[in-house]
Amino acid sequence: MNICVCVKQVPDTGEIKVDAAARKLVMDGVPSIVNPFDTYAQEAGVLLKEKLGGKLVVIAMGPEEAKNAIKTCLAVGADEGYLVLDPCYAESDAMENGRVLAKAIQTVEEKEGLKFDLILCGNQSADSGTAQVGGAIAECLGLPQVTCALDVTEANGELLVKREYDEGYDVLSPTLPAVVTVAKLPTEPRYPTIKSKMAAKKKAIPVLTLADLPNLDAPDSSTKVLETYVPVREKNGVTLKGMETADAVNELVRLLDEAKLV
Amino acid sequence: MYNQLTPEIIAQIKAVSNNVFEGADINPDYAKDEMPIYGTHMPDLAVQPRSTEEVAAVVKICYDNNIPVTPRGAGTGLAGGAVPLCGGVLIDLTKMNKIKSYDLENFVVEIEAGVLLNDLAEDCLTHGMLYPPDPGEKFACVGGNVSTNAGGMRAVKYGATRDYVRAMTVVLPTGEITHLGATVSKTSSGYSLLNLMIGSEGTLGIITELTLKIIPAPKHVVSLVVPFEDLHTALSAVPKVKMAQMNPQAIEFMEREIVLSSERYIGRSVFPQKLEGQDIGAYLLITLDGNTEDEVDALVEQAAELLVEAGAMDVLVADTPAKIKDAWAARSSFLEAIMEETKLLDECDVVVPVNQIADYLEFANKTGAECGLVIKSFGHAGDGNLHIYQCSNDLEEEEFKARVDKFFDIIYQRATESGGLVSGEHGIGSGKVKYLIQSVGETNMALMEGIKRVFDPKMILNPGKVCYRL
Amino acid sequence: MSESKNFWVYIETEHGKAKNASYELITAAKPLAEKRGGTVVAVVVGAGVEAAAKDAICYGADSAILVDAPIFDCYSTDAQTKALAALAEKYGPEALLLAGTNNGKDLAPRLAGRLKTGLASDCIAAAIDEDSGSVAWTRPTMGGNLMAVAVCPVDRPQMATVRPGAFKRGAYDEGRAGEIVKEDVPVSQEDVRVTLKDRVSEVAEAVNLEEAEIIVSGGRGVGSAENFRIIEELAAELGATVGCSRAVVDAGWLPHAHQVGQSGKSVAPRIYFAIGISGAVQHLAGISGSDTIIAVNKDEDAPIFEVADYGIVGNLNEVVPALTAAFKARKA
Repeated sequence: MNICVCVKQVPDTGEIKVDAAARKLVMDGVPSIVNPFDTYAQEAGVLLKEKLGGKLVVIAMGPEEAKNAIKTCLAVGADEGYLVLDPCYAESDAMENGRVLAKAIQTVEEKEGLKFDLILCGNQSADSGTAQVGGAIAECLGLPQVTCALDVTEANGELLVKREYDEGYDVLSPTLPAVVTVAKLPTEPRYPTIKSKMAAKKKAIPVLTLADLPNLDAPDSSTKVLETYVPVREKNGVTLKGMETADAVNELVRLLDEAKLV
Repeated sequence: MYNQLTPEIIAQIKAVSNNVFEGADINPDYAKDEMPIYGTHMPDLAVQPRSTEEVAAVVKICYDNNIPVTPRGAGTGLAGGAVPLCGGVLIDLTKMNKIKSYDLENFVVEIEAGVLLNDLAEDCLTHGMLYPPDPGEKFACVGGNVSTNAGGMRAVKYGATRDYVRAMTVVLPTGEITHLGATVSKTSSGYSLLNLMIGSEGTLGIITELTLKIIPAPKHVVSLVVPFEDLHTALSAVPKVKMAQMNPQAIEFMEREIVLSSERYIGRSVFPQKLEGQDIGAYLLITLDGNTEDEVDALVEQAAELLVEAGAMDVLVADTPAKIKDAWAARSSFLEAIMEETKLLDECDVVVPVNQIADYLEFANKTGAECGLVIKSFGHAGDGNLHIYQCSNDLEEEEFKARVDKFFDIIYQRATESGGLVSGEHGIGSGKVKYLIQSVGETNMALMEGIKRVFDPKMILNPGKVCYRL
Repeated sequence: MSESKNFWVYIETEHGKAKNASYELITAAKPLAEKRGGTVVAVVVGAGVEAAAKDAICYGADSAILVDAPIFDCYSTDAQTKALAALAEKYGPEALLLAGTNNGKDLAPRLAGRLKTGLASDCIAAAIDEDSGSVAWTRPTMGGNLMAVAVCPVDRPQMATVRPGAFKRGAYDEGRAGEIVKEDVPVSQEDVRVTLKDRVSEVAEAVNLEEAEIIVSGGRGVGSAENFRIIEELAAELGATVGCSRAVVDAGWLPHAHQVGQSGKSVAPRIYFAIGISGAVQHLAGISGSDTIIAVNKDEDAPIFEVADYGIVGNLNEVVPALTAAFKARKA
């Protein structure tokens, strides 16, 4: 089974601090990581490859530094990595990124001389969090999709995707090739070994620019961002502290009564 | 020998403290720490002071009336040190939990003793600084860490808590307040009362405020998860790593069993259990740090080569913040994981020379089997500090205690013979007094007791602990 | 393609039953449609969904378009995309809003791709941008630390998924009338490329966090799977749904279906209890639609208190059972 995993390098959003006074984000010192959802997609791909054989290729779109994200994936089981880098896409919206990635996937198929049976993405990115790219790729390539997977396995030639619904989960099977976006896996992504890490470090990562992607229109995102702002979080709520438990609880219930909440 | 609290004394205490608990209002947790097997006892009165002066005023009343006083932090001790064996007044310092100020020119932070280690560590990081001592229990009070000279995972490179205490404010058993040490980094100024206080387990005075040394946080950190076929091979690799001058922050060892327990406890698999079809029998968890990525990468490469030569099955690299956090969180869960699965539990915290860990643990496992006990162990391979747990789910308590007693007699003696000590970082409390005597001898015990009498003429502070036997 | 200024809201159904979050879209669309001189049209593509269409009108839609066929009984990306694309091409709506449920988030990008238009995800507010006359969608980004306002100035329909609970469902007006247009779209089994092999019910009761009135959520501070009992007891007393933070799922104490926050569900209950949850940004991002947040935490500096309307600093092992008892006593 030949597998393509699309990954994104993102800031570790858990490390972002907010400068409330200046109302801006403090991005200094925030490490760049592989989008955590993508690490599950990558691990799902490696598990399938280990079972079924085939090639696993990682594609990332982003600046030169995003090669680090690709190297991280190469160290944990990816065979090849490609970076889609063209400054003209720096401001693209998620749907457009999906269109570019779809083209890149086709280009990589040609370069590698193979056809992908499965394209895996993280369900969403930790930074922009649109959850659009997987669906956009699937639509551009005309492939079936399953999103928000909790597990991706294979049995008797069928791909089985576990997907959450309100009361439990569905097991869905798309025809192949297909696009699957992954939210979580039963197992955590593996550690790189020292050998794989060193090999990944040395491996060349080809770069694809607009010129390498045939028949792709110039950037023309449908959506434009008008403004961004840091939301004010302070709510000036009532905090009961330094009180005996019973007093605090009684006071809370009284306040809730007063506000007609319960 | 001690007096009972009377309504008059209680009234006096209430006159100097607004934070007094009596009768049913006393938190039942005050009767024990995390090792209730060493005995539990409720205090007659509990105080949750907010200032050094409040502590001093309460202690003065107890001194004048000959009432025993037991200080307590978060109660995470493992030797019974915070248990008020003679009742009396318990002083809970957890509300003195303010981080007061940083002096980033002199690399120190001033705190109250009840600050939780976790809070101090996180707060330091927001200032780009590291408070290096890193005991597994992150929700202990720093005052308690100082009182036991807690070590932890990073002690291999950075030393134990003792190395980070610059100064402290202490309430003596008489109720006097005194300041020990200074912000400066060198001293040759008389007996080091500061160092006497560190590790004294609340028997010489009550530490209320601390000035601690901090260091700039290393910029790059990588952890290695190193699988071995068996524990002996894993432990035999440790001296080689230490000799190679890579100066690791931490070298922990863990057996397969403990990793499986932790997996059941946290509900997911953090460390692999097989490698290319082969079962992993033991692991080393090693952290390397440095100021540039290249520097750390070079260290990692060097370490990996050496480890594989020493018999490692492979070397796995945790090089992302999430992976490093996961690995160490799993490591920190070991004690809780054992507790969750075990009805009766005792532990020992011996420290032996690094080149003898492998033989010593083998001996301990063999002795455990002979005594009919389940043994689980993990610990700080890098400094020879082993945490060996005796577990039972089916023995009666009396029988369990008898077997553990026999086990301890044998393995503590072996530790002493190997050039080791009874406790690396958990302390003596009430649970390990017998073995301390066997290890250091009556002469040294008499010196300790003499020191205790100078600080505490009426012997009211934390009776029954370390050197003062009831 | 005929042009209209109509605002479509997609009513998501499963076995004929609509999601509440879909009716909330009507509230979001109404002021936009009024400002643009259009109407709110509910679009229902399902099986046995005439009642759902009528309900949409009772909740405030002006009219409805109904596609009713057995093939739409269970959600299918392929079937829904084909049907909605056909309807959109026929009517040319100004905008199309979908609820940001798992299925809504699955369908929206697929459909936006097919219609070659733009999509704003997980919106929590919407207004007409005076300059362009397009909708300015507000959505959280950077793990909830930042809000972004985006427009889709040229392509139509302007599409958005809306965070469940960000808007309140309107009052149900039984007497409200509106036209229901029935449409046929040629969707067949051959169009559906994903097969449902199995449906496994994992939880004793349905965990429907997105539609819960009250949620009692526990975090790492609860301490153990066993201790979640005190959370469950409080929830039972209040008729609430049990939620949790990511740490709890990671620790294996509760299944993923209970998880609130960026990698779990975004919720918007009337009351959200955050117990032993410190309030990482990813969690806060998922609860910002709550009307009232009540926090219980031992650490008074926990970020959760910054967003809480009411908070108790204290030991949750004491506070939570005391709360349960207090609510029980009030009922008696």
